Amino acid sequence: MNHQSPGALPRHNAITEWFAGVGRTTYITLEHAGGLGILFGQIVVAIVSLKVSIRSVLNQMYIMGIQSLPIVLVTGSLAGIVTSQQGGYQMTSAVPDYVLGSLVVETVVLEMGPVLTALVLVGRIGARITAELGTMVVSEQIDAFKSLGRDPVAILAAPRVIAGVLVLPLLVGIADLIGILAGVQAANITVGLGQESFYFGARLFWHSWDLTYSATKAIVFGLSIPLISVHMGLKTKGGAEGVGLTTTQAVMFMTLTILILDAMFPPLLLN
Amino acid sequence: MIEYRNIHKAFDLPVLTGVDMRVETGEMFALFGPSGTGKSVLLKTTIGLVLPDMGEVEVDGISVYRGGRGAVEAVRQKVGYVFQHSALFDSLHVFDNVAMGIPEDVLARMPRNETAVKVWEALELVNLEPREILSKIPSELSGGMKKRVGIARAIIGRPEVLLWDEPTTGLDPINTAAVERLIEQLSTELQVTSLLVTHDVEGGLMICDRVAMLDSGTIRFCGTPDEFRACPDPVVQAFVDRAAAEAALDMVSESYD
Ligand SMILES: Nc1ncnc2c1ncn2[C@@H]1O[C@H](COP(=O)(O)OP(=O)(O)OP(=O)(O)O)[C@@H](O)[C@H]1O
Ligand SMILES: [Mg+2]
Repeated sequence: MNHQSPGALPRHNAITEWFAGVGRTTYITLEHAGGLGILFGQIVVAIVSLKVSIRSVLNQMYIMGIQSLPIVLVTGSLAGIVTSQQGGYQMTSAVPDYVLGSLVVETVVLEMGPVLTALVLVGRIGARITAELGTMVVSEQIDAFKSLGRDPVAILAAPRVIAGVLVLPLLVGIADLIGILAGVQAANITVGLGQESFYFGARLFWHSWDLTYSATKAIVFGLSIPLISVHMGLKTKGGAEGVGLTTTQAVMFMTLTILILDAMFPPLLLN
Repeated sequence: MIEYRNIHKAFDLPVLTGVDMRVETGEMFALFGPSGTGKSVLLKTTIGLVLPDMGEVEVDGISVYRGGRGAVEAVRQKVGYVFQHSALFDSLHVFDNVAMGIPEDVLARMPRNETAVKVWEALELVNLEPREILSKIPSELSGGMKKRVGIARAIIGRPEVLLWDEPTTGLDPINTAAVERLIEQLSTELQVTSLLVTHDVEGGLMICDRVAMLDSGTIRFCGTPDEFRACPDPVVQAFVDRAAAEAALDMVSESYD
């Protein structure tokens, strides 16, 4: 302290630094939230004014859906197997063994199916969209669209977001189904639980609401992933380095969003 | 007619600090200036790709920034833009890239073979062989070919105003001549207003009615080619002299080939 000239403020005050950090983060978060809101509005306008080509929506659905199917099948069945093994391991004789059926089905349908599928698509689809649109920004292709009187939101953003909303529920449904089938097999092998008892337990605790819950999650995630990735891609600055940077940021942003939204679902919808 | 009034634009540093410039209808106008002075930025403000911090642009009577809803769209309809780095859509074939230059609603109603004829003609105007490149994607083309596909895309929609951002940079002499002739032809036969940004000072002075020089954020000179050559301003002189020097240099290297 003695070395500082009189009246100079200490440069690294932990408390002011902390507040500055919180301020910056809040500012950036609000800025992104605003950007996402505006983009969503523009997409709705593009859809309502019938400017979105059905062909490009189908094209995006193919890229997102069919091409993601193998990895979704793998993660879905692993989710069922892992839950079944873990549940079986924790079962005690105080609980009837058919409860495992309910445990596996509910965990897969309510949590593992939607969340794992969404996280896989963050890497498989989200990163790709951000990098693709970011490259189009830095090579002036977005400017070129605008100069030719085309609307990049209608041409590029809307088809990706619509496709995400339509495709993710289907993929989650498939992941749920394959997860349950794999869970049945795993329960049979690990704790010797028969198929009949498994489905008996599953039916005993099943609410028809569960499926709606899973589908709602899928739709929300299916909207979030392309919306965030398009938004980040269109905000890219600089050259190839900028594309790399925004792509990494977008993946982090999407992963956190999925996990936070997932944590918000039970208090909002499971009462 | 294109008129820039008091255009200011800063990114991290100020780039344009009060640009006033007017290009008349049907005129061929060249804009020179050192690299990085904001020539591309100025062109982009014309159609709202870069928003100026201050100032107004008017294109054929439409105020781009104070013209209310639809002004930017209306201006983009009128204006063709040749990008410095081509900016072709890299997932589309040359055919679809060029066809994109036709306004959306017109293209939707146009029979496919009529589109094909138009694309074909546009490519021939820029001295490309349509048969060879129509079904290629941009990454399969050379830099000079991309540039000319970009020009074909900008002219196919018959714009009334054309903004050319260094259309001849990176082209061989024959193709440079072809592009220069195209600019002249469009201007004389179709009354197209052309604003040409170029580093080819000699070429610009040869084909253009008037020229201007952008330096340190403002217009340093504006006048006819003869006035430009005679201008005592040392910065302008450096450009004329260098142009002369370059022309001489080109002649030397050509005789070596
Ligand atoms: N999107 C942008 N973000 C930040 N800075 C920019 C952006 N676009 C241009 N600049 C800066 O503005 C200045 C002018 O750039 P511009 O591309 O207009 O130059 P130019 O006159 O066209 O040069 P050249 O003859 O090399 O094409 C440069 O310093 C550049 O770094
Ligand atoms: Mg430039």
